[in-house]
Amino acid sequence: MLSLFRVFTFAIQDVLRNFSLSVMTVFILVLMLLSVNSLLVVRVLTDHAKFSIEDKIDVTIYFDNEANSDEIEEVQSYVKSFPEVVSVKFFGREEVIEQFRQAHQDNPEILASLDELQENPLGATMVVKTRQPSDYQKIISSLQIPEYETIIEAKSFADTEQAIDKINTITTNVERFTLMLSALFTVIAFFIISNTVRVLIYTQRVEISIKKLVGATNWFVQGPYLVAAFLFSVASMVISYSLTLVALGYLDPYISVVFGEELILTNYFILHILLIAGVEFIAVLFLTVMSSLLAMRKHLNV
Amino acid sequence: MDDHVDVIVFCCFKLWYTSCIDFCLSMITLEGVTKKYTRKATALNEINLQVDAGDFVSIVGQSGTGKTTLVKLLIAEERPTQGRVTIGGWDITRIRQKDIPLLRRQIGVIFQDFKLLPQKTVYENVAFALQVAGEHFFRIRSVVPQVLSIVGLEHRKHAYPHQLSGGEQQRVAIARSLVHRPKILVADEPTGNLDTINTQEIIDILKKINEFGTTIVLVTHNRDIVNHLRRRVVTIHEGSIFSDEKHGKYRL
Repeated sequence: MLSLFRVFTFAIQDVLRNFSLSVMTVFILVLMLLSVNSLLVVRVLTDHAKFSIEDKIDVTIYFDNEANSDEIEEVQSYVKSFPEVVSVKFFGREEVIEQFRQAHQDNPEILASLDELQENPLGATMVVKTRQPSDYQKIISSLQIPEYETIIEAKSFADTEQAIDKINTITTNVERFTLMLSALFTVIAFFIISNTVRVLIYTQRVEISIKKLVGATNWFVQGPYLVAAFLFSVASMVISYSLTLVALGYLDPYISVVFGEELILTNYFILHILLIAGVEFIAVLFLTVMSSLLAMRKHLNV
Repeated sequence: MDDHVDVIVFCCFKLWYTSCIDFCLSMITLEGVTKKYTRKATALNEINLQVDAGDFVSIVGQSGTGKTTLVKLLIAEERPTQGRVTIGGWDITRIRQKDIPLLRRQIGVIFQDFKLLPQKTVYENVAFALQVAGEHFFRIRSVVPQVLSIVGLEHRKHAYPHQLSGGEQQRVAIARSLVHRPKILVADEPTGNLDTINTQEIIDILKKINEFGTTIVLVTHNRDIVNHLRRRVVTIHEGSIFSDEKHGKYRL
């Protein structure tokens, strides 16, 4: 208990009396955390972009205008039975013709020719949305069975196939890119932090050997550095997170123009504060503690 | 008036100090000690040395003859390649890593470069040796002023090492080495960085400590000190004991 108290006192004394060195260490840690956070921002934005693009994709199934309601219902329930399908929107024949008239209300020729026809030439339609863009292929091919050939007049398959493919490649590439970037950043952060700590310990090597010569146990020598590592981690975590939130406050108005949603980034960082701050804190603490233990091992052999 | 207080403090300390030193005839024993750093680099060769309790031994010799290696063996910074080292009846030849702090709290050591902690004040430097040993606040508060008064530095206790002269820094180091009432004080070239006046001061303090009953091992190559002391002199030459005289002079 007494030694724990002393280790804490020594740690705080060391941090304050080597103030410029402490500030430098925290500064490096803050820089690393800020770059990790900006990478996280990129990830949130690409996720959001991907999601909003995927949301715009759907497959429309046009029924033959002679298909009866039983057949339509059968197809509908068949499509709904797929687990990949998120939503199915059905528009009856009357709705479809109404939408058609609305869409072409500026074009009197089309409306006139429509009026000339005695009956409604359009069949009912069904708009299907799936979880993943890649799932559309499955839905479309499953509807290409002979029984449905007379019921389904057309599928918006050919038009969207290429677009879906493209989006699939883009999103997988973006994901791969951000993953690689994250890995690279993690490696860089690891080396910078461990080297900063090594330099810090190196400047203290004489003190470490003196403490050993005076009869201090390893715990007494290492303890203050571990406590200091804890203090540095807390300080850098708090500083970097507040800086990130301030920066996002400035960034969000521009983002909301693109996505039409307010405070996307700020909300994300506030909602996930425990997860992000927790993981980053544990990572930084682990890194600083491990590298100071490794760096000290050599100097403790006195 | 101040002098009287000093004398009283001094006597109290001497009483407390000497009462704690066990009676033990042989304080340091080296039996056939050889230390090789590499196969060819032999620092010490077959050294046999016995230092009795209360002795004041000067170990002299040229640079690179193994004097510092001898000191490192005594404080378990190095281990002998062959032979046996015993300190106060404790065989430290194959001392365990976790026992080394215990050993170092029983041997006071001072060095040519003082080895004070630059970020701590005089008081904190001396107190540190007690704090790491888990001593209680009250004891620290009573012992530190006592040892500082022995070396005459009570008035500088809030100064940092860089604000002190070389002689004062060495006196702080001596004060720090005394806090555990060591049975042995090993001084490795303690005056190497000091001028004649400061050197004499340090030697006088060492003599005073020797009067308490502490065994002193003084490693030096300062001819004047050794010749003035008229105490036991062990001369080391090329890793072996060249001469060992009870009232010796600096040879070579």
